[in-house]
Amino acid sequence: MRVESKDLTFIYGEGSKNLSVTALDKVSLTVEEGEFFGIIGQTGSGKTTFVQHLNGLIKVGKDKGSVIVGEYNLSDKKCDFKSLRAKVGMVFQYPEYQLFAETVKDDVAFGLKNFAPNMPEGEREKLVREAVETVGLNYDRIKEKSPFELSGGQKRRVAIAGVIVTKPEVLVLDEPAAGLDPVGKREFIELLHKLHGAFVKTIILVSHDMNLVSENCTRAAIFSHGKIHSVGTPKEIFSRYDELVELGLDLPVTASLTRALKENGIEIDSDLTVDGFIESAAKIFAGEK
Amino acid sequence: MKEVAFGQYYPAKSFVHNMDARVKILAVIAYIVAVFLVQSFQFMGFAACLLFVLIATAASGVPFGKVLKSIKGILFFIILSAILQVFFNATGNVLVEWGFIKITDKGLLNAAFIVARITLMVIGASLLTLTTSPVELADGIESLLTPLKWLKFPVHEFALIMSIALRFIPTLLDETDRIIKAQKARGADFESGNVFKKAKALIPVLIPLLISSFRRADELADAMDARCYSGSKNRTKYKKMHLTWRDLIGVLVMAGLITGVVYLNITGFLAVVV
Amino acid sequence: MPLLQAENLTFSYDKKHNVIKNVSLSVEKGEYIAVIGRNGSGKSTLAKLFNGLVKPDSGKLTVDGFDGNDKNSLFEIRKRVGVVFQNPDNQLVASIVEDDVAFGPENLGVPREEIGKRIDFALKAVGMEKFRHSSPTRLSGGQKQRIAIAGVLALMPEILVLDESTAMLDPQGRKEVLDVVEKLNKEKNVTVITITHYMDEVLNADKVFVLSDGEVVLTGTPEEIFKEKDRLKSLGLELPLAAVVADRLKEKGVALPDGILTNEGLAEALCALKAKI
Repeated sequence: MRVESKDLTFIYGEGSKNLSVTALDKVSLTVEEGEFFGIIGQTGSGKTTFVQHLNGLIKVGKDKGSVIVGEYNLSDKKCDFKSLRAKVGMVFQYPEYQLFAETVKDDVAFGLKNFAPNMPEGEREKLVREAVETVGLNYDRIKEKSPFELSGGQKRRVAIAGVIVTKPEVLVLDEPAAGLDPVGKREFIELLHKLHGAFVKTIILVSHDMNLVSENCTRAAIFSHGKIHSVGTPKEIFSRYDELVELGLDLPVTASLTRALKENGIEIDSDLTVDGFIESAAKIFAGEK
Repeated sequence: MKEVAFGQYYPAKSFVHNMDARVKILAVIAYIVAVFLVQSFQFMGFAACLLFVLIATAASGVPFGKVLKSIKGILFFIILSAILQVFFNATGNVLVEWGFIKITDKGLLNAAFIVARITLMVIGASLLTLTTSPVELADGIESLLTPLKWLKFPVHEFALIMSIALRFIPTLLDETDRIIKAQKARGADFESGNVFKKAKALIPVLIPLLISSFRRADELADAMDARCYSGSKNRTKYKKMHLTWRDLIGVLVMAGLITGVVYLNITGFLAVVV
Repeated sequence: MPLLQAENLTFSYDKKHNVIKNVSLSVEKGEYIAVIGRNGSGKSTLAKLFNGLVKPDSGKLTVDGFDGNDKNSLFEIRKRVGVVFQNPDNQLVASIVEDDVAFGPENLGVPREEIGKRIDFALKAVGMEKFRHSSPTRLSGGQKQRIAIAGVLALMPEILVLDESTAMLDPQGRKEVLDVVEKLNKEKNVTVITITHYMDEVLNADKVFVLSDGEVVLTGTPEEIFKEKDRLKSLGLELPLAAVVADRLKEKGVALPDGILTNEGLAEALCALKAKI
């Protein structure tokens, strides 16, 4: 499913004179099917407001532009948001805080029960098992456990299983790695790639972690003050060093190295992934002793 | 973004803001008593209360719209009470009759009366919370309750609990919003179905909220302990309350209002008797 | 005598499974200490032990000469060891910034005028004096954490413990908090113990303790710690990304010196390399 917004505008507290905040200002952005798309920007730049439009958690206002996801026109009043939400999964920041059911099994099944209430029990359990195993947990061992007695990392995985259980084609994640330690983070990224290779066709990842974006995303957009500052491949957007710094954003390690070397007259041309950077840099520096 | 109509402190420096919290609390209690003292059909009494609340609002620097918004939260309740009065008050002269429903002049008057009473009460009470920071409010209540210490009532703890509850309202509202969105994204439906279905739909919101409140309480307790909290013993207070000329004026105006309403009641009563 | 000394501290929540095992360490006045370890390694429990929030099952903690096992010195220890926790929303008690900062000194029975002075001092130290009368709910995460630091500073502590205080912040907020902490350490000689899993927060430390499954398994300067690459890896910890890049370049035959940990260091070394030819 293609995700497309045109002139999308959103104003919090519209109508009140001094309290209204323009969170999105005519945002036009297209994410093609198959992309691993990054959204970056400072807190308050409109990232979260934007992605919450993509499954209708925030409705497109009248004369506030349009959002089209696959065959769904979200500005249309008759849009079937329920079936849309089964296809556009959304993982919030600290998703473990949305767990509620008595058992892991019930919690993961929640989405299925809502989206497909008439599904036979056996089929439902099969999908629940699949989702739990996809996130790397042993279903038989934890299905009857309370989600609240699991470890922090396991809770997060269960919460994600509860989102992917409907096999969404588009998966939106808002700062999903927050609070994880380095190993937890790495495992999490591996999970994302695994999902991307399976039923999830498009990933939209909101993150403050520039290394994460430069390393994993096909393209990314930088939000600033409710507008899109730039869109492009990591190489394209992270090469605008000075502008990024001006926006108060960090540079990925590879970009900051490339920049520092450039200032000393050494050009390293790479795609700004760690692998790419090392390959290009090794060509220049290896053997020079 | 976080708009809680009722109870949200509106920071400003004004005559009313600078009044002693204790005086404001007592004044609001007296005001509510005055509103209740106004008897049916004595709309003059309401006019006096309205005048009072308008003056107080003007002196508080809080925009009128903000004050009016405080009704929003209980608008449903107000309308419901009014409807019940209009349709089911069978006394008085019948104006419209439609099946078993009769609309009478007395029913309409009663409805107007109830709307006026609740609205005035809520506006007055919200003016207190709009102009008094939660901390001042808690301190004021603590100070007013001090005599209860003799009865072993834990006044200090009570006040602290209140101020913490007030401090966490915006945080928990934010959290509720987030959980609702997260469950909606998983297909939860909070809008359709009957009352029971809707109540059941709230479970996936209430349980995470409850659990997170426990977690917050636990962490807050640690943070308070870490900052040497050990109850009211040997504790000092940074903010001291003291009465000023503003408070005297407030008390006088309040006394005037009560006298006026009582006077209207008595003359009204006399008018009926004589 | 060290400012804080832990000798064979052992602690369990359930009397069965020890979350802290035989931890011995010492911290000198003015030091900047980092404690690293994976989630669940016992880091946060250690912070609570330092401040007397939990009592060790065995072992001894001494802070500034006060014995942690002595009930009467509990407040003396809490006064000296201030803790800033992870969640900025769950440690502020009041709805107005200055009231929150006043909370600690009020608890200690500090006279009113003195509390006023301490609020001035603490808010200035974290650069938040402009927000004295604001409500914390309207502040950013980084600002809230700075208020939490001010609330602890108002107790005039010797040691500031940061228990993953930057974990929930965005990069901007993290930077704000780290800058404030570094300034306090350098200019006001406040001893800092930062508990974290961000490797770049470890680089500035004088001394690092690596915690794994409740035990201190490595101690040393950041340079010494990061030399133990394989050991760190087996403990589930990772080197700063710049160090990883440097290592991989070396494997590819780039003649970089040992011990590169930062971007700046790596860029400098690469430039030096280029200059040699």
